[in-house]
Amino acid sequence: MHARRTKMLFIKNAKELFLENARELGMYVALVVIVATLTIMTKGVFISSRNITNLLNQTGYIVVLAVGMTLVIVIRHIDLSVGYLSGFLGAVAAIAMTRWHLPVYLTIPLILGFGIIAGFASGFLVAQMRIPAFVATLAGWLGYRGALQLATMAKGTIVIPNLTFNAISNDFIPDIPDIGILPGVHKLTLILGILAIILFIISAIRDRRKIIRVNKFRALAINFFILKLVFVSAIIGGITWLFAGYQGFSWTAVVLLVVILIYNFIMSQTVLGRHIYAVGGNPEAAELSGISVKKITYVVFCSMGMLAALSGIMFASRLRSATTTAGQLFELDAIAAAFVGGVSMSGGIGKVTGSFIGAFIMMSLTSGMNLMGIDISLQYIVRATVLAAAVIFDVAIRRREK
Amino acid sequence: MAEATPVVEMRNIEKNFGAVQALCGVDLVLHHNEVLGLVGDNAAGKSTLVKVLSGAYIPDGGEIFIEGKKVHIANPWGARSMGIEMVYQDLALANNLDVAANVFMGREAVSTRLGPISIMDKHHMEQETQRLIDRLKIDISSVRSRVERLSGGQRQSVAIARATAFDSKVTIMDEPTAALSVAAIDKVLNLVRELKAQGSSIIIISHRLEDIYQVSDRMMVLRHGRKVLDCPVVGSLDEFRERLVAYIIGARDDFAEKGAN
Repeated sequence: MHARRTKMLFIKNAKELFLENARELGMYVALVVIVATLTIMTKGVFISSRNITNLLNQTGYIVVLAVGMTLVIVIRHIDLSVGYLSGFLGAVAAIAMTRWHLPVYLTIPLILGFGIIAGFASGFLVAQMRIPAFVATLAGWLGYRGALQLATMAKGTIVIPNLTFNAISNDFIPDIPDIGILPGVHKLTLILGILAIILFIISAIRDRRKIIRVNKFRALAINFFILKLVFVSAIIGGITWLFAGYQGFSWTAVVLLVVILIYNFIMSQTVLGRHIYAVGGNPEAAELSGISVKKITYVVFCSMGMLAALSGIMFASRLRSATTTAGQLFELDAIAAAFVGGVSMSGGIGKVTGSFIGAFIMMSLTSGMNLMGIDISLQYIVRATVLAAAVIFDVAIRRREK
Repeated sequence: MAEATPVVEMRNIEKNFGAVQALCGVDLVLHHNEVLGLVGDNAAGKSTLVKVLSGAYIPDGGEIFIEGKKVHIANPWGARSMGIEMVYQDLALANNLDVAANVFMGREAVSTRLGPISIMDKHHMEQETQRLIDRLKIDISSVRSRVERLSGGQRQSVAIARATAFDSKVTIMDEPTAALSVAAIDKVLNLVRELKAQGSSIIIISHRLEDIYQVSDRMMVLRHGRKVLDCPVVGSLDEFRERLVAYIIGARDDFAEKGAN
């Protein structure tokens, strides 16, 4: 009797999980398929520690933009200005350090502050003046492009000599001194990974207890729960091992982890996040419920501006210089990443983690096809197909849900 | 019941839209634990009148009293803080959020406050929502269902439950049964009865006279921005309908002299 009930609960959970998360499951399946295909086609080079580390370091500045873009698209807007804003603020960072001789620890907060101001300006046009975001940020796109050319006019390229600044996108977290075991493996990375797994398991068990206290039948069946724990732990462990096998976590990985954790937390656990989704789902209803759509619009554009600044810092750091073409087309890569990651144009739907996966899928394709020596023109076509397929899948699932 | 202070009293309310007089001196009284039906032809001023009460419109003249106290309602939030809740005709729900999130939209329960960031107490909100839908006997399988997956009747029930969730004094429903199937209409009307049984005071606007007849204690007819009938709901449905239609189309008018002055 008891066993049968558990089994029924198991099946019910499985069905619900599948239905509720069909879109996300589809994305993870696509990720696994793409990674597996690229790995086979490159005879294992793609999944090597070195390649994945480089891939992440090259993707970082797009991921950061995609995270901000997720919020913008969730509230039914778009921001086309962030690419050149990122490039321009990267150039300002370079000027701040080379010409104004500001220390790096002052430059970074200053640039982030500039980003917030730029975001506020877009927010003003969209929320206050009620100009469609597409047009308002298209003006930004033109303006920041001009500003970037002005900033880099003297030499075309501003070389950044600061080692700390350049470490952000090029260097790795330090390791604990060698104690003889596991040579060639980054031990601090391993330790951090193990800590992450332990933290995850503890918090998952605590959450489950809390749910059981409220309603026993709403919790995942125990075998499903264990499956989930093992699966997620294996993923964290696998990723950690991958990084530990090369030079450990890069600073970019640390920055991304922090940004994604903070944004994911805000979007899923806080009142602010709930209000952002409410405004995206039904702005009139949100307004009538006492949520200020204007305030949310400002907050989301300011956050986008700040992340564009961070993206600019990461890109300038990666190249160890500011260039005239920095930021070109970043905005479209970020938007594509968000759509591949399940963000919906109709508003109210999309997760920060999804956009990260979306960015990772798109960059994996580039990296993998580069390794295979596929012509750049074909690369664009393959990526176009993946983007279209993701959106078609998305629309099909949503139509079936209704 | 009549001697007690009314929950809501609106006196001589006027509202103009440019040259159009939408309301010319309308009085409205709602007693405790009473369901008041508000009917009238299109553009008779029903919606305008309740929008004045819910803070969506500022009246050009007249006074509003809530439990005997004169109030000034400046916007929907102000009305809400005075205990006036409105269920909008076009369903003010966010389809992308679940039932609990919709019920608590705009007044999320908070567990921890970290400066500008407030962490939600999701368990509390889910529990309270479950309690609410149990109390109102609303048929929804899980408070975690996204609203877009619910039927029209279920959605309307959620919208009504949400309006009554926070100790409101008055619940205003604007065409709660419009665009619903027959079975769903029954559910919504049952919900109105349940609310009345639990002590709510309700103003309900509807084109469907049989709905008003079924659930209202009293009804009021508006025509061209004036009140033409205010009486208890009595008699059979057919008599009731015949009588009402005469007032709606303007064949009869109980307040004719007053209006002429």
